[in-house]
Amino acid sequence: MPTVIFQLPDGTERKVTAASGTVLMQAAVSNGVQGIVAECGGNASCATCHVYVDAAQSELAGGPNDVEDEMLDFTAAERRPTSRLSCQVQLSDALDGLVVHVPEEQV
Amino acid sequence: MSAVPAVTTAAPGAPVVDLDLADLRRDPYPAYAELRRTAPLAWVPSVGRHLLTRYEDIVLAEKLPEVFSSREEGSLLLRTVGPNMLREDDPNHRRLRSAAEPPTRPRQVRDLWAGAFERTAHELLDRIAGRGEADLMADFAEPLVAANLALVLGLRDASAEDVANWSRAMMAGNSNYADDPDIWLRAERATRAIEDAVARAAEAARREPDGSVISSMVHAAGPVDLAEIQNNVKVIIGGGVNEPRDVFGVGAWALLNRPEVRERVLKEPSSWKRVFEETARWVSPIGMYPRQLTQDHEIAGLTLPAGSRVALVIASGNRDESVFERADEFDLDRPHRPHLAFGGGPHFCMGAWVARHEVSAIAWPLVFGRLKGLRLAEGATASDSGSAAGRLDGWVFRGPTSLNVTWQAA
Ligand code: FES
Repeated sequence: MPTVIFQLPDGTERKVTAASGTVLMQAAVSNGVQGIVAECGGNASCATCHVYVDAAQSELAGGPNDVEDEMLDFTAAERRPTSRLSCQVQLSDALDGLVVHVPEEQV
Repeated sequence: MSAVPAVTTAAPGAPVVDLDLADLRRDPYPAYAELRRTAPLAWVPSVGRHLLTRYEDIVLAEKLPEVFSSREEGSLLLRTVGPNMLREDDPNHRRLRSAAEPPTRPRQVRDLWAGAFERTAHELLDRIAGRGEADLMADFAEPLVAANLALVLGLRDASAEDVANWSRAMMAGNSNYADDPDIWLRAERATRAIEDAVARAAEAARREPDGSVISSMVHAAGPVDLAEIQNNVKVIIGGGVNEPRDVFGVGAWALLNRPEVRERVLKEPSSWKRVFEETARWVSPIGMYPRQLTQDHEIAGLTLPAGSRVALVIASGNRDESVFERADEFDLDRPHRPHLAFGGGPHFCMGAWVARHEVSAIAWPLVFGRLKGLRLAEGATASDSGSAAGRLDGWVFRGPTSLNVTWQAA
């Protein structure tokens, strides 16, 4: 059961534990983490589940897939090298302790 | 699968609220405000469904597609177009959606379609620019979005007029609660014409892929048969014209009534995006959509039995004061909160990126940029409810019936 940490734009932090195999977006939404809107429910078609992976861990989380890469050009908050769609990040024990930053805007 | 038969009566304990459909069409917002306050889940006999009207409840329902099923028994949409992805749940919905979706994704819109969208908009404006007056709905927005839709779908030999007429005929079928045989006949003629056009386009795309929706479905990894392509193209035509058209019309109307806002937007073109999202929130082009419960479920303080029919009234959620302060006002500066106009979950509007681009990056900037001194006809009015220049109409779908404007003809 990996634990992930969401850093919110107001400086607060939310620690969430989720089963391996679930996606990061789901972990956020089912725990009511503010700022992950996820309009399309995880189909990589809305770009409202955008997060920045902590710079020190970007290798660990890996890069975006093709569909995701395209959508990341259209996020409401600026795209950065560490940007991911949280619905495309699959959690595993290897990602235990992952820290992600939630952007100011999703739409 | 919603194997549970539809229940067409009020859930035990549900408040029954009589709403007059003609009133709703004229202006549904006062009734919605009252429902949110006093009966956020109400059985409305004239609609034959429970109306769910608060933002949070609608969001919760959208997050549970396995409970709030899209497979609705006795759906008029099913009768009009046949089985289609809008009335399917996953995994079948997802198979069809992933086959159809690639051409509507934002990068494809920008790289494949945007140039043609812009040329068509210029051509339409060239046609009216010298006149100094027009109905922006009939003379510009509708032909523009219909031509764009034909292009994205891959219907090479259909005109914008064909697409607009087909859309109207199917929309009429889809709301034919009175079972008028003439309306069914018109809808059948339109659907048959679409089937022929799709069959030809699919044949051509099989030989030569062209990046369109039909082509993408023909070449999809998971097999999609011709009837499935035909029915889903019908559904896309049914909704794909009025929604971008109506957002265009409502947003243009809002700005023409608010010269200060308009000046500001013209100075900061990046704010057209905000105009789009706020317009879609303020007057959602789709006001509600139906769901049918697969199991007993408690929501908004009531337990709905399996089979219950519910309408998610997103137009109401978008005016919920607990989420949007002064929700009835059109305000570009309101704090960003996600609106519900595109729906949510697996059925999140497939046309969202096409609509955003054609309306906010092309249609509005060109109209306001090219038509100098643009104003509402017969004296600009500060009223949003109606004037000689046009009025808003509808509740399931809502938009201006016309938008008569004048400008200084070049
Ligand atoms: S939830 Fe829509 S893109 Fe991730």
